[in-house]
Amino acid sequence: MKKFIYLLTAVVALSACTNDFEETNTNPYQITGESLKQDFNHVGAFYPSMLGQIFGNQVDHNLTNVTFSQHLATPTPFTGGVNNTTYYIRWNGYWGREYNNVMAPAKQVIEIAEADGYTVFVEWANLIKIVSMSRVTLYQGPVIYTNFGTTGDVIYDSEETLYNAFFTDLDRIIAEFSANMDYVGLNNFDASYGGDVSKWAKYANSLRLQLAMRISKVDPALAKLQGEKALADPVGLIETNSENFDISGYGNKFHPAQICFEWGDTRMSAAMESILIGYKDNRIEKYFDPVAEVDMSLVADHPDWPYKGIRNGAELIAKDDRIPFSTLDISFNDPAKVTKRKVMSADEVYFLKAEAALRNWAGAGDAQANYEAGVRASFELWGAGGVDAYLADDTSIPIDYDDPIAPGSVNDFTNQITNTVAWDPAADNETKLEKIITQKWIACYTNEMEAWMDHRRTGYPKLPPVYQNSSNADWGVIPDGDILRRMPFVQAEREGNAIGVADATVKLGGPDEIGTRLWWDTGGPNFQ
Amino acid sequence: MAKKLLLFMMLILGTYPLLAQSKTVSGTVTDASDGSPLPGVNVLVQGTTNGTQTDFDGNYTIETSAGDVLVFSYLGMQSQNATVGSSNTINISLQEDASQLDEVVVTALGIKRKEKTLTYAQQTVRSEELTKTRDPNFMNSISGKAAGVEIKKSSSGAGGSTKIVLRGNKSLSGDSSPLFVIDGIPMANNKASQPGMWGGTDSGDGLSAINPDDIESISILRGSNAAVLYGSQGANGVVVITTKQGAAGKTVVTINSGYTFEHIHELPDLQFKYGAIGNAKESWSTTPGDYASEYVEGFFQTGQNFNNSVSISGGNDKTTAYFSYGNIAATGITPKNDYSKNNFTFKQSTKMFNDKVTITSNVLLSLEETKNRLPAGYYLNPLTGLYMFPRQRNFYSYQNEYETFDPIRNLNAQNWFVVDHHQSNPFWILNKEPKTDNSKRVIGSLNISYDILDNLQLQVRGNYDYAVKEFEQQHAATSNSTNVHPNGAWNYQKYDDQLAYTDAILSYNTDISDDFSLNAIIGASYQKTTYGVGVGVGPDGNGTGTLGLLYPNEFFFQNLPTNVPVVSLTNGEIIKQGAFANIQLGYKEMLFLDLSGRNDWASTLALTGNDSYFYPSVGVTALLSEMFEMPEVISFGKLRASYTQVGNEVPFNRINPQNTINASGGVVRNTVKPFLNAKPEIITSLEFGADWRFLDNRLGIDLTYYDIKSTDQFIEVPTVSGEGGYTTEFINAGEISNKGIELTVSATPIRTQDLQWVTAFNFSKNTNKIVDIGPDDEKEINLGSSEGYQSKLVEGGAFNDLYVLKFLRDGQGRILFDAGKPLRTPTTELVGNLDPDWSLGWNNNISYKRFNLGMLISGKFGGNVFSQTESMLDGAGVSQRTADARDAGGVSVNGVDQTSGAAITTVAAETWFRAIGDRNGVGEAYVYDRTNIRLSQLSLGYDIDMTTLNLPITSATISFIGNNLFFIHKEAPFDPELAMSTNQNAQGLDNFNLPSTGTYGLNLKLTF
Repeated sequence: MKKFIYLLTAVVALSACTNDFEETNTNPYQITGESLKQDFNHVGAFYPSMLGQIFGNQVDHNLTNVTFSQHLATPTPFTGGVNNTTYYIRWNGYWGREYNNVMAPAKQVIEIAEADGYTVFVEWANLIKIVSMSRVTLYQGPVIYTNFGTTGDVIYDSEETLYNAFFTDLDRIIAEFSANMDYVGLNNFDASYGGDVSKWAKYANSLRLQLAMRISKVDPALAKLQGEKALADPVGLIETNSENFDISGYGNKFHPAQICFEWGDTRMSAAMESILIGYKDNRIEKYFDPVAEVDMSLVADHPDWPYKGIRNGAELIAKDDRIPFSTLDISFNDPAKVTKRKVMSADEVYFLKAEAALRNWAGAGDAQANYEAGVRASFELWGAGGVDAYLADDTSIPIDYDDPIAPGSVNDFTNQITNTVAWDPAADNETKLEKIITQKWIACYTNEMEAWMDHRRTGYPKLPPVYQNSSNADWGVIPDGDILRRMPFVQAEREGNAIGVADATVKLGGPDEIGTRLWWDTGGPNFQ
Repeated sequence: MAKKLLLFMMLILGTYPLLAQSKTVSGTVTDASDGSPLPGVNVLVQGTTNGTQTDFDGNYTIETSAGDVLVFSYLGMQSQNATVGSSNTINISLQEDASQLDEVVVTALGIKRKEKTLTYAQQTVRSEELTKTRDPNFMNSISGKAAGVEIKKSSSGAGGSTKIVLRGNKSLSGDSSPLFVIDGIPMANNKASQPGMWGGTDSGDGLSAINPDDIESISILRGSNAAVLYGSQGANGVVVITTKQGAAGKTVVTINSGYTFEHIHELPDLQFKYGAIGNAKESWSTTPGDYASEYVEGFFQTGQNFNNSVSISGGNDKTTAYFSYGNIAATGITPKNDYSKNNFTFKQSTKMFNDKVTITSNVLLSLEETKNRLPAGYYLNPLTGLYMFPRQRNFYSYQNEYETFDPIRNLNAQNWFVVDHHQSNPFWILNKEPKTDNSKRVIGSLNISYDILDNLQLQVRGNYDYAVKEFEQQHAATSNSTNVHPNGAWNYQKYDDQLAYTDAILSYNTDISDDFSLNAIIGASYQKTTYGVGVGVGPDGNGTGTLGLLYPNEFFFQNLPTNVPVVSLTNGEIIKQGAFANIQLGYKEMLFLDLSGRNDWASTLALTGNDSYFYPSVGVTALLSEMFEMPEVISFGKLRASYTQVGNEVPFNRINPQNTINASGGVVRNTVKPFLNAKPEIITSLEFGADWRFLDNRLGIDLTYYDIKSTDQFIEVPTVSGEGGYTTEFINAGEISNKGIELTVSATPIRTQDLQWVTAFNFSKNTNKIVDIGPDDEKEINLGSSEGYQSKLVEGGAFNDLYVLKFLRDGQGRILFDAGKPLRTPTTELVGNLDPDWSLGWNNNISYKRFNLGMLISGKFGGNVFSQTESMLDGAGVSQRTADARDAGGVSVNGVDQTSGAAITTVAAETWFRAIGDRNGVGEAYVYDRTNIRLSQLSLGYDIDMTTLNLPITSATISFIGNNLFFIHKEAPFDPELAMSTNQNAQGLDNFNLPSTGTYGLNLKLTF
């Protein structure tokens, strides 16, 4: 007995040994940087999870920029129909997504890559940061970019500083990529281009052209300088669909399909119905499905084109009312069929060049050739037929919209677009720009970010205003007929970084409200 | 299975050799002052554990032998000895002893101390009080019976968890729940998931594994004073559970059998006059109708609860044993909800080696199964659809046909009037989304004590607590598409909780001189907890959700698509080691000094260099009634003071977290900054107390004042700047203060031969303050915000401060309107605090001859609660308020248009309630006073006189019992003491919680 007691006492006494504490306090289901060094995952394994966060989900994307660009619309009267879609801000989450899941890890990953001399990885991460921040700035305007990761008060970049920083960083990124075109290090980690550095360089250069065009009205000189630089850069631009920059779904379902088919919270927009059907655009059957069970009463106004959309900012009573309207094409619901989501495609580059031609940027080429190449690239991308007839159509214009559920003229609108698809070399620049941006709007389906920017910047396409305007002094008043211009700074920043937000509001040049125009949204004429 | 085991155990017990030379002695014990019989006098054979108590008439019977010495002891009386001679009758009359208060209580680590010597507050609740009304979770029975204890019961029904906080919230990061100790050994109490605003279901806690009938007593050590010996886990106080053990002598069999039924107290005040317009899901028509209403109440049923237990105890002077079996079979207040529990307990104690070594072993086994415990919150909750159903529609068509055949899919699909993320057909949820929670747990412990010398004892203990828990819900295809894939969804988790504990304690008692006494202990302990290790289905282990199943309605691993991972789960592994010492120095039995110190080594602080830390405590007690001559009216007087520090280690894996693998196989970079200079949180308490008794102990006052300061709080802060590429960091900062008063007044206003009335008031008041929130004084820590409800911590504020959106008003207090709708504040504003200002429990025990009446009234005063339910019902136009407003032609308001300045006095009902209600409404309208007073327990028992009946039954008591019978006063439209979540978040929130219930029933207790 005594021996047993001594033994137990000894066990207890000896147990005050803390050698195994570190291992005990490690979560066995996490993966350490040391373990990741196998197969060099310690640098590359983080890129898919960063890229996987470029697109937001329902509240920060589908009910924000997608609804503002009027590609998709919700049948659901969330929070009594008073929400983002009717200009009363309920959800403002994209900022947090990008800073927490892209900017923060990118900073660490860059440090690891720098320490181990992986210079291409460094610039790859820097490029992903620009992808992320160039989208966030379309929401709020001033953002934290050059000061990200520093200590002390966190001061936002004005948009002018931001775009200059983007261009400087792109110089360095493209130079690094150009010097390492045969680098194979990215191969195992790059689901977009399979590690082809030359394609990344083309994308980075195309991104420069995109960013240059955004500021073409507010700073024409800088825009021209950077635009021409992109057009002349030997790394080239995205010119074929095989060079498109897509982000893999990494096996997950295309998220808008989940919102559409599982939650029943998104449908084709009325603007899409008006424009695609009016222009007899065959891409419609690749984008959307006809109304449920071919309920012809819903499409009595155009039975040959049995598609029905919902007006953005509609007055909605019950969600069920518009569930039978056109969904996304069912193929989006199959992760085996739709495996990726495009960020930039050849059509967009052609449309950018077409606008560049109107703005007399050197190297842009002919506006008509670029315009038509853009439309063709888009038809090719979506596998739609009849592009020749489409481009030649000089009579069809978008149709008026009728909401078959709402009584009377509620939610209905009269089409404001009088331009046809066919190019008219004799037309003035304004008309040409409208055609370009309208086609750019149609083509950028599934990546609506630039469409929302173009609509604010140029006023095209001529989209109907929200039917129900619930904006008020809480977030800023949008006059009836006008559009929301930006998203407010996020609550976490308002509370946690009040000094930064106050300074950013000064840089914004107006109140932190949804009606304040961003830097590049001058409100002035499209051409001087 | 249970029956067989019971039979088996009875056979074992039956073979026990009973005392050969025994004889039966009986007699009556009376009060020397008036000759009245004394019930409850302890009668013990000296030097053994063989003992009994006198009955109501002061009678006792005990098995003993000639030459044995019987010791008769009773609170407030001088003990008396009597040697057993040839006579079989020994009558005793006891003298009152005003100075004596030698009741021995169980303190930290199971060490027994005389209550009068304690330097800190401790309150003990006896088994009779715990089991009186047969609540399946015994902790619920403590509410109101002890001061300084805040208890909230989960709204989820039988087997649900309980939130317990002693002396306020002391930590920003933990849930401030106390440590549970069973027979001196810490118990695992890993509370799994809890519901929040959006949904979820209470997963129970470990306490339900204990059979309440096995409990001898529960001592609540409210301060961290006593807990210093348990280390950091005792920082929030300790609940010491002492279980029953066998007594030498005659084998005693007890059967305790109860049946109660449970009914709902109240439902939200709903209207059935106005239906919906068209297909709307909200009932905003202004055309009155006469619509069915019974279906809402009809949804609920009367719950039933069968609670049976049997225990057998006995033994001889060497070995005693106790066995029990308990069973609870309950059906809830909603269809398909039932709960079953089987408890087995076997405890034995044997003396060996000339009684120098005592070996005690204890095995507790519990098997629990809960079916269809209802969730709270928005999602997959039957109550949302039930309450918000548009009034003009026919509910019964959906109740009778919750599924209809879908020819397109060739399966039975859910039949409900709307596709809405908040709503499903309530009967579909009950029938087609069945949920099962299973828990199997065994606690085995061994305790060896060795009396090295008469006054030197070594005790070594070991314990292993192992539970397997399984949670499963099978959502059939066509369940709500917001949460469930068209093929259905499967929630499945299976994991283990383990706790291994061992300690060794050397204790030494001596009288240094005639005046000085010394009690000293020194010891060491080791504890390893491994919680929540297992597997779960889905990206976070929380189910497949909308990710899908390959084929509809098959719920097993092979049916998972490739994009649905099965994940390894862990809540962490923690090793804590401690070395401790305690000295109690006594002077002339009137002045006691208590000194303790402990050093902890905690694995969660590895890499910081602070994983070893020491903390001390000191206390002093003065028995003034011993020191000075007191007036006769004062029978006992004591003052005490103590100062304690406790270190609290940080949670698992916070120092250096690593990267995670996401659902699509990518590696997500950790962005929580490593916290390599973390220190333990320190809780410093100062406590003063007074314990006075008057009028022959018939009136007692126990008053405690405490001042607790928690510093170096472990706070998570976002790195706004993204410094170093991190999104979040942890810091040691801040200070929380809890100051309070606990007062227990107990009295025996009537004590006659036939009638005795014992009454006690338990009062507590705690004031919490966030003195310092860290280096950034403007910092706000969010404890949960959703849908306009927010609880956050700010410097100068208090824990559980409630923030909601308010109406925007002008200088005259008029509500500002814009375009006909009321405006709200852009951010949430402080409206109150969720904790009560003070609490009061009034417990009464009246015995008259063979009748015994117990009654507990408990009340909470002040504080706020918030109802999202009411907000949603208003927004949906189904609350009675909305009908009244429509009847009245609108809502009368004191408002003004902000642009025109025109006064607004009436708003259309729909405009008003859609603006202030629904989600994200004006929370100000849904904040209620928490104040409530209720009759929380009532029992009326009758002790059947067995002496006249020729039955082999020693005693029999039959009682009527009731729990939570009715509210004497209540402000809120729901029961504020029912918790949606029993962890730190979502406090004071009602969002489609189950309604409050009361239980009534009968109980029969037989002793053979």
